[in-house]
Amino acid sequence: MTQRISKSKRFYMMNPIIQFFKFIWLSIKILVIVAGGHGGTREAKN
Amino acid sequence: MKMAKIVILGAGVSGHVAAAHLRRKLSKQHEVLVVSPNSNYQWIPSNIWVGIGRMKSKEILFPLPPLYKKKGISYKQAKVTSFYPEGDIETTEPFVNVEYVVGDKKGVSEKVTYDYLINATGPKLAFDMTEGLNPGTNKAYSVCTYSHAEHAWNALNELIQQMKQGKKAKILIGTGHAKSTCQGAAFEYILNVEQELRRHNVRDNAEVIWIANEHQLGDFGMDGMLLSYGNNIMKSSEMVEMVFEDRGIKWIIGAGVNKIEDGVAHYETLEGEYKSETYDFAMLIPAFSGHGFKAYDKNNSDITEKLFKGFMLVDADYTPKPYEEWSVQDWPETYQNPSYKNIFAPGIAFAPPHAISKPRLSKNGTSISPAPPRTGMPSGITAKLVADNIIDSINSKNKMKHKGSMGNMGAACIASAGFGMTKGSGVSITTFPIVPDYNKYPETQGRKLGKTFGEIGLAGHWLKLALHYAFIYKAKMKPFWWLIPE
Repeated sequence: MTQRISKSKRFYMMNPIIQFFKFIWLSIKILVIVAGGHGGTREAKN
Repeated sequence: MKMAKIVILGAGVSGHVAAAHLRRKLSKQHEVLVVSPNSNYQWIPSNIWVGIGRMKSKEILFPLPPLYKKKGISYKQAKVTSFYPEGDIETTEPFVNVEYVVGDKKGVSEKVTYDYLINATGPKLAFDMTEGLNPGTNKAYSVCTYSHAEHAWNALNELIQQMKQGKKAKILIGTGHAKSTCQGAAFEYILNVEQELRRHNVRDNAEVIWIANEHQLGDFGMDGMLLSYGNNIMKSSEMVEMVFEDRGIKWIIGAGVNKIEDGVAHYETLEGEYKSETYDFAMLIPAFSGHGFKAYDKNNSDITEKLFKGFMLVDADYTPKPYEEWSVQDWPETYQNPSYKNIFAPGIAFAPPHAISKPRLSKNGTSISPAPPRTGMPSGITAKLVADNIIDSINSKNKMKHKGSMGNMGAACIASAGFGMTKGSGVSITTFPIVPDYNKYPETQGRKLGKTFGEIGLAGHWLKLALHYAFIYKAKMKPFWWLIPE
C-alpha cells in the first residue's frame, strides 16, 4: 500500500462540513452538465 | 386522430423511461404497452451495494404491474421471440411474437401488433462467451442483476468470516471477457469490497487484484479521458492509479479472460502471453451481446440483417473504418431503424457503429479491448428523446426533431468507492461528450475540460445515495417525477 493521497487532502475529502458544500456544488455542476442539453452532431458537420 | 399503439420491449432504465414519458404526454386514446419478462424494476447502479451487503434487494427494486395498472400502461410479462415489421400472410399490421414466462399462459406465444415499437431489451449477459464463467460457480460471481449481487455478497461474507479466523484470501475483480464493457461497475465494486474488508478488520489478510481488458487503467471503454481535478488536469489513468495504489489494490491490465476454472482465471495479455491468476472470490463482468432475435418479412423470409447486427441497427454509420477515421458523426442521433421507421432502439439495445476505445489486438491476434459503455444516463436520455419523437410523429408535428448523439451528450459516473454516511467515498466523474470529439476538442483528448472533471470524497457517496433515492422516486412516477432529469 502506497500513500498517494496526503493527510491534508484526505481530511478535505472526508470532512463532513467541507464535503456538504462540495455535495451542493457537485449536484449543481452535474445537473448543469447532464441536464444542460444534448443534440445531434451531423448538422454541425454539414 | 387515429389511435396509436406503442409497444415497448423491456422495462429496464430505457424501456421504463420511454413508457413513463409516453404515458404522461399522450392522451389515453393511445395505448402504451410494455412487454418484459422481469416484472420488477431495478435500479441497477445500486446493485454494487447489494453485492457488499449494505443494501437489500428490496431497496433497489419494486414491482411494475401495480404501477403500470395505476398509470394506465398495459403490461405483459413475456419475452419477445421474433420480429415481423411488415406483418405476415395472416396479419397485415407489424407485430412481434412474444412468449409468456409466468402463470397460466407460461410458454404460450402471442402476436403483439404495434404502430410504433421501442426495442429496449438491453444486452444479453453473455456469460457463455467465457468458458466456465457462470455466476455462482467456480467461486466467480457477478453484480449485473440484484439476484447475482445477493449471491456475490453471500459468498464474500462467507469468505470474510473465514478471513476473521485467519485465512489469507485473494480477491479478483474486473472483466471476465476480452470484449467486456461496464468497467465502471467493476471499478465501483472493487473499491467497495476493499472498504468492506477494512470495516471488517480483515484487509491485511486479503490481496485485492483488478483484472481488466483495458490497455491502461481508467479507460472505462471510453478511451480514457483528460479531466479537471481540483486545480490540476489529470488523466483518468493517473486518477485510478492514485486511488488503487492508495488502497493497496494491484492490477492486471490488457487481459482478456478466456477461461474460468474453480478458483483460477485464465487470460491472454496484449503481449500475447497466456497466464492465469488464482483467487478465492471473483466478480467478473461478462461480455454483453445481442439477444439473437430473428426478423421476418410478410412472406416469412428472413430479414434479420435489416434489423440486427448483434444489437439493433439504427441511424448510425456502420461503414467499417480504421480507428483514425472514426468520428462522432458515426454515432446515432435518433435511434431509428433505417429500414423500418416505426422501430427504435434506445439504451443498450442499439448496435454501436464501433467501439470508443482504440481497438487492440494481442500478438496472437486476439481482440482485447473494451466494448463501448451505454448504460445509465445515456439510456434514459435516448429513451426520452425516442418517446418525444414518437409523440411528435403521432401528433403530426416535426418528425425526428429530438436528437441526442453520444458525441454531443454529457454523462456523469458517480462511482461509489465505499459505503457509509461518514466513512463512505465516491469518485465522481463527468464527461462531455461521452464519445470523444477529437476535431472539436483536439488538445484535450476529445473532451471539454471543466465539463469533464473528477472529484473524490465523501460528497460522492452522498451524491450516489441521493441519486439512488431520486431515481427510484422518479421510476415510481410519484408527483412531479418528470422534473428529475434523466
